[in-house]
Formats: sequence, structure tokens, C-alpha cells
Amino acid sequence: MMNAVSGLGSQRAVIWWHRLVVMTRKEMLQLFRDVPIVAFLVYSFTLAIYITGNGIRSQLHDASLLVHDADHSVSSRELIHRFQAPFFRLNGEVADSREGLRRLDRGTAVALLEIPPRFHEQLVTGEPTAVQLLVDTTNSANGLSAASYAARIVARFGQETVLNRVGRAEESSDGLPLILSEHRVWYNPDQNEAWFECISHLLRQITIFALLLPAAALVREKERGTVEQLLVSPLTPFQIMISKVLAMTVVILGATAVGLFGIMQPVFGVPIKGSIWLFFTLTALFVVTTACMGLAAATLARNQGQVGMMTLLVAAPMLMLSGITAPMEAMPVWVRYLMALSPLRYYIEIANGILLKGAGMNILWDSVLAMVALGAALFGFGMWRFRRQFA
Amino acid sequence: MNLRRIAAVASKEWRETVRDRMFFLLAFLLPILWMLVFGYGLVLDVENIPYAALDRDQSALSRDYLYRFQQSRYFDFKGALTDEREADPLLASGRIRAAIIIPEKFQERLNAGQTVGVQTLIDGIFPLRTDITKGYVIAINSAFNEERLVDYISRRIGISRTQAEYRAQPIKLEVRYLYNEEVRSSWSIVPALVMFTLMLSCPLLTALGIVREKETGSIYNIYSSTVTKIEFLFGKLLPYVLISSMNAVVLWIMATLWFGVPFKGNLLFFLVASLVFVLSSTGVGLLVSLLVRTQIAALLITIIIAMVPTILFSGLIVPVSSLSPGSQFQAHLFPGMYYTNIVRGTFLKGIGLEVLWTDVLALALYAVILRLVGYRLFTKRPR
Repeated sequence: MMNAVSGLGSQRAVIWWHRLVVMTRKEMLQLFRDVPIVAFLVYSFTLAIYITGNGIRSQLHDASLLVHDADHSVSSRELIHRFQAPFFRLNGEVADSREGLRRLDRGTAVALLEIPPRFHEQLVTGEPTAVQLLVDTTNSANGLSAASYAARIVARFGQETVLNRVGRAEESSDGLPLILSEHRVWYNPDQNEAWFECISHLLRQITIFALLLPAAALVREKERGTVEQLLVSPLTPFQIMISKVLAMTVVILGATAVGLFGIMQPVFGVPIKGSIWLFFTLTALFVVTTACMGLAAATLARNQGQVGMMTLLVAAPMLMLSGITAPMEAMPVWVRYLMALSPLRYYIEIANGILLKGAGMNILWDSVLAMVALGAALFGFGMWRFRRQFA
Repeated sequence: MNLRRIAAVASKEWRETVRDRMFFLLAFLLPILWMLVFGYGLVLDVENIPYAALDRDQSALSRDYLYRFQQSRYFDFKGALTDEREADPLLASGRIRAAIIIPEKFQERLNAGQTVGVQTLIDGIFPLRTDITKGYVIAINSAFNEERLVDYISRRIGISRTQAEYRAQPIKLEVRYLYNEEVRSSWSIVPALVMFTLMLSCPLLTALGIVREKETGSIYNIYSSTVTKIEFLFGKLLPYVLISSMNAVVLWIMATLWFGVPFKGNLLFFLVASLVFVLSSTGVGLLVSLLVRTQIAALLITIIIAMVPTILFSGLIVPVSSLSPGSQFQAHLFPGMYYTNIVRGTFLKGIGLEVLWTDVLALALYAVILRLVGYRLFTKRPR
């Protein structure tokens, strides 16, 4: 008797799984038949990662500098010469500052360095002197970094000239009570920006695909009425919803593997310090959580136009404020609270942690826990809405 | 071209959009919500860097040195360490981004006129943050050094402090910030957000409009009607151009009145340039909608080709001049970059057509070329 019951139970479980697999397969078929989507999937996880990894430099880099040198002396030339790559790129001299301002207006230069007449003379005779820097701050963060690099260059130049004159150049720093600031950069010692940029780009693509495709697939069924057919079939609402998530998860994991092993590792040398299995497991968890977010939006929408606007509304803040576009620390406190709802915020720590820092679950557990809780809540909400609408 | 038929297509499209209340609401709500969220929330400065300190010296001087970091708004003190090994898990989990380690005999050696090294461990994951953190550490360190040096020189050589100060720092750098004199992050972000919002919402609105008809099959009504290709494309795009232009005005009002960003340029020029931009970004949506068959593909492709280049290549965050040559080329392929020049130029720099004509021209060309391609691709006799 007992055996028969458990036998029936396991048979039911087999049928249940079989139905889920069939539904997932149907979702994948539908996805792969849409040629433009497949083309963009391939582009996004290969060429797009290559382009961003290669091209983006978020640090101040090659800021084009104009010089108005009213002195034309050894010292002024020496100082100008100090403004060099990688931070600055000398973009030529201007005859007067008005010409320089015009170039700044036009945006062909970021900063204008003005060296006053008698600069050399003052420096030699020991008179205090000043040089002026005009910085374009239409992009405030860049303007500030340009100013701070310039301040460092000028300060160093001034100190060296004075020490030279006093004749203590040889013992310039040694023998003085100075504090030397020594830096050790961890996890990316050479400050290879390509690592950060291509990992961030991978995360961006995963987010967009996971958020959008299952949501749009569900709404499409609603819009066309095929969802009614599914509901009269022996499928449960749970199976209908989760199969869309599963199909997308499998596709995205495959695409991520292609991006990681096909582009990021061989081309940019991104290290995989932690466990690769952990990375893919948690990537799957992230895809599921994000997809649940999309599905929750999909239950609120009646057609694909609406769901498109909704996912766009949610996706942009996720991508801009979660900490891959700009560091989170300086953002207002409410942004941090808002972003607690963004699974991407946790996944950034997880992906960078595993790939670059070699972190394991002992360090990442709180991010994982937060993501699981978020995913469960979103899925619960989506199921509740879906059941109320149809079942 | 028959104006009445264009008007008929446009009014049909307008009604369809208005009747979908949620969609219509979102089309106007999205720009406003984004402007509020990003205008207040997107801060590109690097501040409040969480750090921990290990003071092996525990002297008056080492405490004074560390106090400088605690006082700075750029750093956020998370606690004192007792062992260097404690820094490891904290950095790995991202709870701190930097650790400062002061060696033993810090005070003793400095007072004896010797050089001391202070070590800083920095999280290198986000190169921008790493680099700026390094800059702040150097700045705080050299300010501290300068004071010590002035003391030392005035004592050793027996000159007054002011003279010694000059010895330590003979050239002053006077920085003048142009266009955004108080260097407010919001002043540089908010105008660029006008670009960001329009660049993302216009193509999506447009792309969905045409593909929806293709997917549901209602486009066969158009195929069999007397409406010509060009009339259809004009009429179809008109409502979306209208919605987007209204959004541009709303965004301008929010930027100037709500966020208080100065508008130094010519309003008429800004409005005309915005219209040209709206025409070119709706063109992007048109192109996508003609290449795909399903709305799901239209959504995905517009979001990817509009969002990713707009975040990365439009000058919103990274200036175009800092990109590698390949990416600069890519930046010039998207309309976002030209409009960023226009919004920042008219808002903050107060320049107009005399400087920005190249950008307006590029946008106009963009709009025309996209429409010509769209005209070629659209056919009333699909296979």
C-alpha cells in the first residue's frame, strides 16, 4: 500500500518534471526562431564585450590641454613638459587666453594652463609666483580630477626647483622628515581597466536580457491569448512562469560562458581566481531573481508596449546606480536603500568577488542571502498576481 | 504626398496610443521619474570611501595623521584594525575599500628627521575609484608633509614660517572652474539627463508602434489602403515626435526650475536642436522596427542599441575625448554624443549655433539618412 502511494507520487513527480522540460523547450524554440534576437544575443556577449573592454577608460585620460605661455623661458617650458600622458595630452599653444577660451567653448580642449610673464625670473629670485589653470567643469568629476592632477604636477615641480636651487637635489627626499605614501593596489595591481569594463559590460547584458525576455514572453502569451490554452492544459501556473525563467537562464549561462571563456579570459586576461562553479551557480541565481523582477512587472502589464516601458523604467536606474557605472559610496543614502531592491547591486559584489578577488561563500554569503530573499519575494508577488488574473 | 492621409494615419496612431492608458502614462511619467531619480541620485564624485586604519605606533603624531583622514569628507572611517590580516576579509567583501597602515616608530623617526613610509592598501576593482582614492591619500599626505616641512625648515635654517612656507611651495596653482563655477555634480548631470532620457524613450516608443502593427497583422490594412509609404511613415512617427518634443520641454523646465541649473544659451536654438535630435532618435526606432518581426525583438534591440552606447559613449559619464580611437569612432555613430554637446553647451556654456552647428548638422544628417534607409526598407508588398 505504502509502496503504491510512493510509486504514484514519484510517477507524478516524473510527469511534473517532464511537463516542465517540455515547456522550457518550447520557450527556447520560440526564442531561437527569432533571428534578430539570436543575432543580438551573439553580438552582445562577444563583440560588444570586446569593444567596451577595449575602449572605455573611466579615469581621466588624455585630457587635452592648451597652454598660453607668456614667459617662454626654460622654466615655463620645463613645467609644460611635465603635463604628460596618461593624464594630459598637450594640444598646442595659444597666442592669448581669449583664443584659449574659444577653444574651451568649442569643447576641443578641457583645460587651459596660463603661465604669467616673468615666471622664470620670479622663480629664480625667490619671489612667490602663480600659474593659472582654467578647467572645463561641464563634466564636474573630470574637471575636478584634471585640477587635482595639475596641482600635484605643479607642486612637485615647485619643490624640485627650490631644492635644486638650494643644492639639495641629490638628497631631495631622503634625510627630510617626510612621510612617503606607499600604495598597494589589490585584486587588480596593474589597474587594467579592461577587466573592470568587460566584467561590468557582461553584467549589463545579463541584466537586460534576464529582465526583458521572460517578461515580454509572458506578456506576449497574454496579449495573443495563448496563455488561455496553456491554462486549460495540465500545466500549473507555476510551471508556466518558471519555464520562461528556466529557458532564459540556460541561454544566458551559455552566452556568459562564451563571453567569459571566448573573449574575457583569452583577450583581456581576466583572471578567474575563485570557483568557476560557484560563479555560474550564482549567475543562475541572479538571472532567476532578475527574471522574476521582469515577470512581476509583466503581470502588471497588458501588452508588450507597456512591459517594455516598465522594464526600461526599472532597468536604467539598476544599470546606472547599482555601482558599475559610478561608485555607490558618494550617492545619497536613499539611493542605497532603493538599490537594496536591485539584484544587480549584490551580483556586482559576487561577480567581482569570485572572478577578481577569489572570494568564496564564506565572504559572499550576505550578498547571496539578500539576493535569494529578493528573488523569493518577487517570485511570490508575480505568482500571486498571475494566479489572481488567470487561475 | 497627401496631407489629409498623413493626418488620418497620425490621428489613428495618436488615438491608439492615448487609449492604452498605462502606456500613455508611462511615456510621460518615465522622463519625469528618471529626472528625479538620477538628478538627485546619480552622483559621479567619489566620496565617503569606507576605510579602516591600523595604527602600530599609537603616538600623538600618528593619531594626528589619521585624524586628517577621519575629518575628510572623502573618507568614511569604518574602524581601527589590530592586525594587518584583518584587512583581508574586509577588503574582499567590499566593506572597506582602503586600509591605512602606520608603521612602528612613526613619530620617533619623523622627529629624528627620517623618512617614514605609510602603507595604503586599496581595492583595485573599480579603477576610477581606485585612482581617485589614491589621489586623495596623496593629497592628505602631502598637506601633512608640507606642514611638517615648513616647521622643519624654519627651525633648521632659522627663517620665519611664511618664508619657509614659500620655500616648501614656491609656485601656487590658481584653478578657475569654468561653466560650472561651483563644480556641482548635478549641474553637469542634469542637462545630460535630458539627452539620456530622450535617447532611450524616443526609439522605444517608435519601434513598438510599427512592430505592433506588423505582429498583430493590422498593418495589412495599411498595405491594402491608398496610403503611400511616405505618408504612412510620416503619419506614424508624428505622434511619437510630438510626445518626445513635449517631454523635451518638460525636462527643460525641470532642469531649470526644479534643479536650478542655469540656462545660459538661446532657448529657441535649444528647442530647434532638440527637435532635430528627437527626429533622429525616433529614426533609430524606425530602423529597428523595420528590421524585426516581433515586439519582443524590437524591445530588446532598441534597449541594447540605445541604452548601452548612451551610458558608455555619449559623454554622459566618460568624456568622448578620453575614449580610445575605436570607441571614439563608435561614439560618433550614435546621435547621443552630438546632443550631449548641445545640451551642455546651451545650458552651461551659453553657446549657440555659431559653435554647435556641426553637431546640429550631424543630427540632421542622421535623421535624414535614417529616414531614407527606412523608406527603402519599408515595403507595402512583403514577401
